Amino acid sequence: MSAATAKADPQPQTTAAPVEHFQFTNLGPLLFGLLVSGGAALVICLLLALFGTHALRERLLFSWLYAFAICFTVAAGSVFWVLVHHATDAEWSVVVRRILETVGTTFFYLWVFFLPVLFFAPTLYEWLDPAVFNADPVLVGKRALLNRPFWGFRAVFILAFFAILAWLLRYFSTRQDATGDPRWTVKLRQVTYPCLPLFALCLTFGAVDWFMSLNPHWYSTMWGVYVFAGSAWCAMAVLILITYALQRAGYLEGIATVEHYHIMGKLLLSFTVFWAYIGFGQYFLIWYANIPEEAEYFVARNTEGWNVLSTALVVCHFFIPFLALCSRINKRVPQRLAIISIWCVLIHLLDLYIIVIPAAGTEKAGPTLLSFFLALICLVAIAAPLAFLFLRNLAKTALYPLRDPRIVKSLKLVN
Amino acid sequence: MATVASTPESASPAPATPRPVATGRVYGLVGEFDTAAELYHAAEVVRDRGFKRWDVHSPFPIHGMDNAMGLGKSVVSYIVLCGGLTGFTTAVLLTFIPSTITYPLIVQGKPLNFFTVPAFFPIMFELTVLFSAFAAVFGMLAMNRLPRWHHPLFNHERFARSTDDGFFISIEATDPRFIEADVRELLESVGAQHITLVHDHD
Repeated sequence: MSAATAKADPQPQTTAAPVEHFQFTNLGPLLFGLLVSGGAALVICLLLALFGTHALRERLLFSWLYAFAICFTVAAGSVFWVLVHHATDAEWSVVVRRILETVGTTFFYLWVFFLPVLFFAPTLYEWLDPAVFNADPVLVGKRALLNRPFWGFRAVFILAFFAILAWLLRYFSTRQDATGDPRWTVKLRQVTYPCLPLFALCLTFGAVDWFMSLNPHWYSTMWGVYVFAGSAWCAMAVLILITYALQRAGYLEGIATVEHYHIMGKLLLSFTVFWAYIGFGQYFLIWYANIPEEAEYFVARNTEGWNVLSTALVVCHFFIPFLALCSRINKRVPQRLAIISIWCVLIHLLDLYIIVIPAAGTEKAGPTLLSFFLALICLVAIAAPLAFLFLRNLAKTALYPLRDPRIVKSLKLVN
Repeated sequence: MATVASTPESASPAPATPRPVATGRVYGLVGEFDTAAELYHAAEVVRDRGFKRWDVHSPFPIHGMDNAMGLGKSVVSYIVLCGGLTGFTTAVLLTFIPSTITYPLIVQGKPLNFFTVPAFFPIMFELTVLFSAFAAVFGMLAMNRLPRWHHPLFNHERFARSTDDGFFISIEATDPRFIEADVRELLESVGAQHITLVHDHD
């Protein structure tokens, strides 16, 4: 313990000390577990897809889209925090930035998991059926957006954009590790500014194309912001958990301090409030106006068995984390913040579950055990391989940007 | 020591209008520093000596000074919590009692029971924020014993520089550890200049 603290030298060393590098090979059982569970879940998915009934295949595909949505939102949220870091020239986040950059690198592989959605889209999106589409004047009116070639192009564009952006942000940052040349910081800033509006457009179109168009009649102009608020919130919780896990394993000792946890807790709190503000703003206007084509989405989710989960979401996504995070001590004790972050990740799972699953024709009556089970299988099938690849990428470079010009200020952070 | 006597090494020009001579009880000892850094290090020493009733004064906020002074967590946050809860409760009563008990009125087909609560969220939000903000401002003023017409420190002529280029430490006579000779020695040892005994007015 004390030896590791002694190595936490603010001055970058000419040769990277071992503590600055994540030892991938020390993680044998965890990696084995991730590979086995991910592989087993993928095999189960494949078997269900090959031999299941048509209804089961449909449920499986919705669950797959749900699991993809979880990984997409967490990765996009992490890219967002890196962009904000460079856009605001932040000092505090330097020591945890590499973790966010590495979570962003899951975009290199995420497109693979989108392929089933791309190929079997007509099962998910009823408007892709020409008979349904042409018989419905509302859908015909949305032809400019809701047509398969353009929809597919947008999906490819969005995933390619995020992958390239994540690569650029990490590439320039790791290049700086070697020389400490401040021009890489400037380059990162030059990448950030044009990419911020593009990021907003891509996340909004992703949210509209993949989740809102599950209910093609419905529209909400706040939808993109709503999905974004949940993404950034969950990404911050994931960052806290990864930082905490790394410290438990003996890394970042004396690098990430209570002050960093405090700031991450504050951002988690602010996005708890932001999500509630956006979520309520969206719900309130639709609820009050009570226009059928707008209310359709919430009617489906506030009746039958879904009402319980929708109501629970309000309490669990806002009130509980809000009250827990109001307290200063809960943000400054890493164990407590980690417990709150686990809660936040679980509730993000619930948030997206309520968005995606009720749109399935088979799930109108409410949540079922089978759909929970399928969602879990799909989540393991996608998240476990991505977690494995994340850990592998994390070990490739130093755990934090050793020679970032702002590293000393970040290490000496005081709230 | 019946006057606001500057110590002999005081080199500042006399102010245009002399202040009234204070004859009251001793408020405390005040020492002056040239830079924020000196003030910061002096505060650390005073903190470590265990003084409780003392303060620093500077023309601008000094980052980390609360740690250097050993200040704990402010009580204001609990006052704000109470204010927020009061506001929330007020809003709940203000909305639910009229619209479901005393004057039930169906608006836009919305129910009269608990499930009409989304309509009241904006009111709950606004009143919670309003009462919290009031609690924060007035709680802060009360904790600082403000507003007040005068403060004994203003009897010290040089203290006007605390809004310009002076950095001061004042140690109050009500501090249990206050012994004039010792405090004077302490302030001297940390490099304070113009160490002055300040009196209350009456």
